[in-house]
Amino acid sequence: MAQFEELKQAIIDGKAPVSKALTEKMLAEGVRPGEFFPKAIIPAMDEVGRRMRECEFFIPEVLIAARAARASSDILRPLLVGEDAMTAAGIVVCGTVKGDLHDIGKNIVAMMLESAGFKIVDLGVDVTAEKIVNAVRDHQANLVAMSALLTTTMVNMKGVIEALTAAGLRTQVKIMVGGAPVTDAWAHSIGADGYGKDAPSAVELARQLVAA
Amino acid sequence: MPDQPTHRVTLRPVQTELTAPAGTALRDLLFAQGVEFPCGGQGRCRGCRVHVLEGQVSVNDAQRERLSTEELAQGWRLACQCALEDDLVIELRQWDAAILVDETPFEFHPRAGLGVAVDLGTTTLVAQLLDLSTGRVLAVRTALNSQARFGADVMSRVDFGAAKGGERQLRDLIRQQIGSLIEQLVFAAHVSQGEITDVVVVGNTVMHHLFCGLDIEPLSRYPFESEQLGLQTLRAGDLEWKLSREARVRFLPCLGGFVGSDLLAGILATNLSERDELNGLVDLGTNGEIVIGNRQHILCASTAAGPAFEGARISMGMRAATGAISEVKLEGHAINCRVLGNVPPQGLCGSGLVDAVAAGLELGRIQPTGRFADGVTSWELAAPVVLTQSDIRELQLAKGAIAAGIRMLLDRFGTSVGELKKLYLAGAFGNYINRASAQRIGLINFPSDKVEAAGNTALLGAKLALFLPEGDDGSFASLRQRTEHVALNADQSFQDTFVEEMGFPQSTYA
Repeated sequence: MAQFEELKQAIIDGKAPVSKALTEKMLAEGVRPGEFFPKAIIPAMDEVGRRMRECEFFIPEVLIAARAARASSDILRPLLVGEDAMTAAGIVVCGTVKGDLHDIGKNIVAMMLESAGFKIVDLGVDVTAEKIVNAVRDHQANLVAMSALLTTTMVNMKGVIEALTAAGLRTQVKIMVGGAPVTDAWAHSIGADGYGKDAPSAVELARQLVAA
Repeated sequence: MPDQPTHRVTLRPVQTELTAPAGTALRDLLFAQGVEFPCGGQGRCRGCRVHVLEGQVSVNDAQRERLSTEELAQGWRLACQCALEDDLVIELRQWDAAILVDETPFEFHPRAGLGVAVDLGTTTLVAQLLDLSTGRVLAVRTALNSQARFGADVMSRVDFGAAKGGERQLRDLIRQQIGSLIEQLVFAAHVSQGEITDVVVVGNTVMHHLFCGLDIEPLSRYPFESEQLGLQTLRAGDLEWKLSREARVRFLPCLGGFVGSDLLAGILATNLSERDELNGLVDLGTNGEIVIGNRQHILCASTAAGPAFEGARISMGMRAATGAISEVKLEGHAINCRVLGNVPPQGLCGSGLVDAVAAGLELGRIQPTGRFADGVTSWELAAPVVLTQSDIRELQLAKGAIAAGIRMLLDRFGTSVGELKKLYLAGAFGNYINRASAQRIGLINFPSDKVEAAGNTALLGAKLALFLPEGDDGSFASLRQRTEHVALNADQSFQDTFVEEMGFPQSTYA
């Protein structure tokens, strides 16, 4: 148990080499791969989210913590088969909308969702509505997370929702939006299911949306 | 028709009295007084908040979302969301600042007639009337850009112009405003309008497109490239200005993307393109612009720094105006704040913010990660002005963007800080910022003796362009040919560099 605490702390502190080495050592000692997520990775990233919300952590600290979480989860994912198979909390297609290249915020949300047990299909930046529709269909996603950082590009979120509706996929997915110019009112006006004001809120929102 | 009731509005601290019909939007009333609306009056920010001291002003949902219950109870309102329904006494925090006017002597080739140089900024406008035979400045006028009611930053202007069909309205507003500034110059200098033969305007790419009536839609989305960056020559008659119909009006060409003719003018002003040694020029604004180059080759780029340097999105931020803490100095283990106008402190402007964080780092009150030491969430600089944790975060974003831009441009040029002879800081903020503090927070990672405040290089460059021999517009083309625009946001490594530059350098003494 002390080892899970140690791993959790290594992730919070952003020490990727330590979290990688610990994960390998624990596996060699017989810890089941399925135990890492609920006992170390998810609680560690929840703590990172709490610190971010309280302004204690800023973008650089969150990114290096997420990198440390990934150093552990990259080793674990191939092993999550058979009795260790984990059901993904949800399948999320995410991306920054057409015309917009900002990806730091979107990356943080994607990494935190991943650490919270979601399967992520990250389409990157400058993503067309068509690409999102195809990804939702191909991956049987149940969540779409879109980001925009410019007042001139956030209108493209509306186009994505319309394209999903036209493709007959709107009832299959919940849609969440975020980014500096986006507001709760805007999210409602374009018919999205929710707005996350920061990465920790986005994780919370994703959990609520898939549970609904 | 019944008489429409009117209401009286008293503005403090300036004691201006206004009268307007009931129902008038406070936004229109206050804009005419120089109050700015950073988000374009859409209730998305808190930039236009006013303190209602007397009288009734209704609250709507947008205000409930942006203001706390406590603030609403104390009488704080978002001016953009209010209409006049009572006699009011309101206090304004925002007040207009001194706009930098260039007074640098320059070399010129004399010719007959009068000329006008205009620096058309997103926020402010400066126009100078010159005697082209002596090079003497006859009059100067400054104003706030009248387009600002449709958004403080260029992207909200682009949004209003391209998506909301306001291109023509923005074009007409700015043309009329510059026309009337020129009338004021003529009046002030006791000259005749007919003597003005030449007008040169410089500004960023969005201002260039809006003034010239070009399609701004390409500037609203990636890759943010317009085909129409070139020199635009118009006649005063086309603009309905009260000058000789044939007077020539030139808007100098842009360099690419969001790097406009204000930077091209800056290159002319610093003579950067004619020297063998390597020099840099940085304009620290909402849109930070960076140039590095010499006689052979010039690289330029822009980087979105956000409005922190102008005091926006800072909890007690304000422009460099009366009541603003503009300097914070270390005195042993304590700090000493200088307040503009020698009045009690009311807020913090950009130069004060940079100083305060530099002092906090030196005192160990702020850690290199940007986090306050000892778990506190704010630091009182001079009552009632405090620096909060989120203010430091806003500054980290702004300085990270600029520092990353400079670093990437140096890398791309294959050079380093050591090989640069000088780094010129353009614009008002570059003039007032403390260079040692800028270095301390890692904004300008250059030794102080290499950094030089160059003043309003945009206006100086515009003036130089007035004196270029007739038909010498080719020199702009040659300059543009040697200049390469680097699209930083399209470079994958930019995001990583940006994140790396968000932290602060380690303390110089422990």
